[in-house]
Amino acid sequence: MSEHSSAGPAGGGQPESRPERGPGLEQRYRRLLAWYPEPFRSEHQDEMLAVLLASAGPGRRRPGLADSADVLKSAAGMRLRRVLAGAGQPGRADALAVFSLIAPLFLVTVSLLEVALPYRFPLPAGHGPGVRFIEQLFGSHPQIGGLSLFSEPGFAVALGGQVIIAGLAIAGRRRLALAAVALAAGYWIFSRYWIPGPLQVLSTSVYLLEAAALLASPGPRRGRQLVTWRHGLVLALAAAAVQASALADDRASPLLRFAGLHRPGAASYAVAVALGAAAVLAAILLRLNAYLVVVLAAAVYPWAMQLSFIRRDGGPLGLFTPGRLAVIYLPPLLVAGAAMLITLERARGAGGGQPAERDEPRPA
Amino acid sequence: MQEATFLILTALAERSQHGYGIISDVREISAGRVQLRAGTLYTALDRLSAQELIEVDHEEVVDGRLRRYYRLTGPGAEVLAAEATQLQASAAKALSRLRLAGGAT
Repeated sequence: MSEHSSAGPAGGGQPESRPERGPGLEQRYRRLLAWYPEPFRSEHQDEMLAVLLASAGPGRRRPGLADSADVLKSAAGMRLRRVLAGAGQPGRADALAVFSLIAPLFLVTVSLLEVALPYRFPLPAGHGPGVRFIEQLFGSHPQIGGLSLFSEPGFAVALGGQVIIAGLAIAGRRRLALAAVALAAGYWIFSRYWIPGPLQVLSTSVYLLEAAALLASPGPRRGRQLVTWRHGLVLALAAAAVQASALADDRASPLLRFAGLHRPGAASYAVAVALGAAAVLAAILLRLNAYLVVVLAAAVYPWAMQLSFIRRDGGPLGLFTPGRLAVIYLPPLLVAGAAMLITLERARGAGGGQPAERDEPRPA
Repeated sequence: MQEATFLILTALAERSQHGYGIISDVREISAGRVQLRAGTLYTALDRLSAQELIEVDHEEVVDGRLRRYYRLTGPGAEVLAAEATQLQASAAKALSRLRLAGGAT
């Protein structure tokens, strides 16, 4: 109990009787207050409503602009703080630590699947100039993926970069892994070994999230302590789904579309969707950390969008419009941005200094 | 400490007050310069309660509407006193330097 005891009714003169106001005003204020998080609303909604109504002039039917902006601003700030406070919980930091370990392995797996599961298809005889053009370039049985990928100089370097990042992550070398991610992503984006370059765009989101996870989490060494076969299973299913979607996209590449062979069958979509659904189902059934599932979903989301783009207009993801790039990158950017905000919050919480050294493992 | 926080604590220094009372008092303390709005006020009250600088004194229902009265806690009074002392010292220093420079009497 404080020494400041109650002093009875307040000064300040809240109107003792309710002046006449528009009938919908209270309802509109309630709708505004609905933007606050539920715990805050249940605690303060009634008294806030009383203050807002008392502050409103007689005859007012709608909330004023300044009051509305103030409520929305404080509600948004409160929600953001709650998200950050929740994101800073050990469970979420650990989820990012696991992601920082498995994301490079995911990219390596996807690339190796690309090599291990080439797609070869026969060109129909007697077709137009498009088919003849492809035949001249690739022979009568063009192949997508497989060992021929290594003849593309960018692929070997990119795969090498992925392997190095994965190795550094497994070794728990957070800072070196971060540097390697920056180099590999830069090279990957600009190498364009693949026409029209959908893989660069798609996997860039994984690099982006990996960088954020390396910065915002205790690091892959902590991830190594936490990772289990369950993560491996979900990862394998997700990589298989991504590879299936990549095959569907490859079959819709501009070259094949030019030849009139661009329509992947429904089976291509069905396999990719089924594998993706299996990955999600496995993540749920195996009770993976929900935050980790969100980050993983953000990482593979561009591949899912790729499928939807192909389905919509039969065109490849390679035809990047600003709108499509925004659709592809927005969720991964938001998730990566949230992870970075965790870092800033932690640094601020630690007195404005640098985040704690995270190459060292912490107690589980 | 932000000015709004300082003014809210100041408004509660003498007696317990409800939300609308705090808004009116802050306007008066700041000579009309600071107009708190409900969103800002209750965000601050929520934070100050979490920091245990203020607490709920009592509640009453007027015209079917809830009025919750807040008051300063012991730690809240200490924080306010420390801040006021600091501000007073800074203000005194500013006035002193202005006097030395001949800019104020």
